[in-house]
Amino acid sequence: MSENETPVTEATSSEAASTEADGQPRRNFMVEFFAAAIGLIVGVVPAITGGLFFLHPLFKGKDEAEASTRPDAPVKDEDGRLKTTVRLESLPDDGTPLQLKMVDDIVDAWNLFPNQEIGSIWIRKVGDQVIAFNTICPHLGCAVEHRASTGDFYCPCHLSSFTVDGEKQNEIPPRGMDTLDVAVKDDGSVWVKYEKFRGAISEKVSI
Amino acid sequence: MMRAFLAWLDDRTGCNDLVKEALYERIPGGARWRYVWGSTLIFTFSVQVITGIFLWTAYSPSAQTAWESVYFIQEKMFLGWLVRGIHHFTAQAMTVLLAIHLIQVIIDGAYKAPREVNFWLGLILMKIILALGLTGYLLPWDQKGYYATKVTTNIMSVTPVVGPQVQQLAVGGTEYGHHTLTRFFAMHAGILPGLLIGFLVLHIYVFRRHGIHAKAPEAAPEASFWPDQVLKDGVACLGVMAVIMLLAIFKGAELNPPANPAESFEAARPEWYFLFLFRFLKIKLIGSMGTAFGALYIPGLLFGILVAMPLIAKWKSGHKFNVAYMWVIMSGIVLLTGLAFYEDGTNENHQAALAEVHRDGARVKELANGPMMIPVEGAGSLLASDPFTRGPRIFADKCAACHRWNGHNGRGRLLKLVDKSGESQITMPVATDLANASSREWLRSVIVDYSNHFGHLTQSQWYKAAAEAGEEEYIDPIDGEMATASADYKELFAKSDNQTDLDALVEYLYSLSGRPADKALVARGESILNGEPLVSGNQMSSCLDCHDTIGSDYSSPEEAPDYPDLAEYMSKKWLKAFIRDPSKFYGDKNQMPAHNHDAINDRDLDLLVRWMTGDYETEVHDYPSRLADIPKPPEVPTAADEGESTEAE
Repeated sequence: MSENETPVTEATSSEAASTEADGQPRRNFMVEFFAAAIGLIVGVVPAITGGLFFLHPLFKGKDEAEASTRPDAPVKDEDGRLKTTVRLESLPDDGTPLQLKMVDDIVDAWNLFPNQEIGSIWIRKVGDQVIAFNTICPHLGCAVEHRASTGDFYCPCHLSSFTVDGEKQNEIPPRGMDTLDVAVKDDGSVWVKYEKFRGAISEKVSI
Repeated sequence: MMRAFLAWLDDRTGCNDLVKEALYERIPGGARWRYVWGSTLIFTFSVQVITGIFLWTAYSPSAQTAWESVYFIQEKMFLGWLVRGIHHFTAQAMTVLLAIHLIQVIIDGAYKAPREVNFWLGLILMKIILALGLTGYLLPWDQKGYYATKVTTNIMSVTPVVGPQVQQLAVGGTEYGHHTLTRFFAMHAGILPGLLIGFLVLHIYVFRRHGIHAKAPEAAPEASFWPDQVLKDGVACLGVMAVIMLLAIFKGAELNPPANPAESFEAARPEWYFLFLFRFLKIKLIGSMGTAFGALYIPGLLFGILVAMPLIAKWKSGHKFNVAYMWVIMSGIVLLTGLAFYEDGTNENHQAALAEVHRDGARVKELANGPMMIPVEGAGSLLASDPFTRGPRIFADKCAACHRWNGHNGRGRLLKLVDKSGESQITMPVATDLANASSREWLRSVIVDYSNHFGHLTQSQWYKAAAEAGEEEYIDPIDGEMATASADYKELFAKSDNQTDLDALVEYLYSLSGRPADKALVARGESILNGEPLVSGNQMSSCLDCHDTIGSDYSSPEEAPDYPDLAEYMSKKWLKAFIRDPSKFYGDKNQMPAHNHDAINDRDLDLLVRWMTGDYETEVHDYPSRLADIPKPPEVPTAADEGESTEAE
């Protein structure tokens, strides 16, 4: 329709600009500086705001339910140990481990799921002491099984194996099974603090 | 090193040419402020992409999680309120900038040959941006977005031939639900932005092909886009950003209570930039021509003329017509928008509905912040089981035909009737105002001011009929037994020595419901009822003389007692029994309808009574009192007044 209105070629265009730039170098530098600076500000402000928002998981800490007064709330002592369903006298005297499901409230963002199974533990009596392990394998997070035939623990995923005391028996796991904080109260009830630990490292680091 | 790398990169990609092409566009007549609007639109779109993607990382589109995740973003996540605020207000800024850009293109004649195609591309972009606004409005799944979008999708259904199918495709079925959100979200965050980027690339490509439509190119020496125009564009974007940030920080994006299909929302409106269409549909003439006509054909025709502008401009005076047409349409839009705002602003019901939705919004956030957080059924269930929210609604449905609550119907609205002259008059209540029922003030007023306390009963039909017929058995706040007794009490307790004894009596009656009360006063009150003399003057008859169940446990009487049963007076148990069957309390005198399980189920009755007795904790502002608006029943001389005047004579 209007061929004569198509833009001038690239060379002419940039030539025009640079000629002008040569004419007024000082002014152009200031203009360029402010143009770049303002451009940077308007670009960076929304990006940084959004970026900080995205980092929320790093700032928020652990999702934990507030202490609840409802009648069916999980019972915890002041050190965060959950009351289990077993009592000292109900654990086998020969030290055979029992598997227990731990029940607590789960907080997930805006939801609270009351009384959920949050994980399981191995628990056994040794003399008048009670010891408990998290069933999560410290290697890569599968569930550790008790092997009745040999009286030890092993993980079916990568064949980590542990003694019944939780010490590692081969070089597959980076550390022994993770022990949990246990308390036996005067009435014989057994309380366990359920924690999870980072996998695949030799130190025991709570998550 | 760096230079070598750049040379290599340019050799392989040709990026230098691209940068030159982008930055060194020639601008005949020099950089000007009037060219900034297109750039501000690209800037605002970029802001939407950035904030939108970040919001995406925390948004969850489903009927039970959409509102909840937006609540979590808004109230709990780091800077979530700001990111959402920026996204919310930038959307609105875009429509304003879009209008300015369009107006300028038309005034400057930049739509004319050879730029017709680019004008049309721009109009497509405008539609996409408006569609983004529309789809985004639903995503928080709150009352406002839900009902506004219902209207939009219903308008879709009047599209000729394929209307219902179009509607079902948009909604994801016949009912709103999970798939409405997933589909709207896919449109909002995927399809529409994709289309927008595609058409934007074409728009800019064609724009560069024809160069800027220079206004007065001879006025100043030629400049290039970088840095002269970039600086002006940057300053404009900075200004736009400043306005958006101020709005986001000081006004903030609103979050209404969660969508509830069972709870109508009278103040449902589209976002303000669609208000003109909404108001256009409400014009009587347009409405009478049918929804399809007002919502599709006429706007379609008007938009069609906009599309035809480049062709119209070929005629003599065509450009002038186009500019005039644009101003007429813009004035119409501004006028209709202003009208809609004005009408809503002066409409009492609209304002009451807005106030209520803010009350519910504040309340649901308060509940979600509680120890049980938000149940899996969604935040709507928090309100559904909340006495503070449900109580007023049940009251408005079941009680407000006769009773009032602080003068209103429980939900902040005055009840009105249009009289013969066409003016709406506040309806006179025909039963007691129940706000503060069972409070100490209420009890005090029953004892010493019975006639006024129950004065509105005299406005009811049954009262007038009974008084006229000279019936013996009816509740009479003027001449009844309790009215006469109350007149005596009034005189007795007017003595300053007896004030504490009145307090004691009130406190005792207050304690009957089981609420915590001042023990010493309660004991004194009880002993007065059992015959201990008052400090001054002692001709008083005891409440126990008639209400002989005071102080005992409430149990449903076999038959109506002669006087209202006041065992556990105003406790939840007592109130429930009273509402279920008032004739058990007043016998033949009763006029209040019984509310059996068909009239109100146990759950609602419980919520109502918990609300009435203040069994909830909140810091949310309640509906304001309308007591001052309620007309007083005409003064009728009471038995006491008559007695006094006789004595005086």
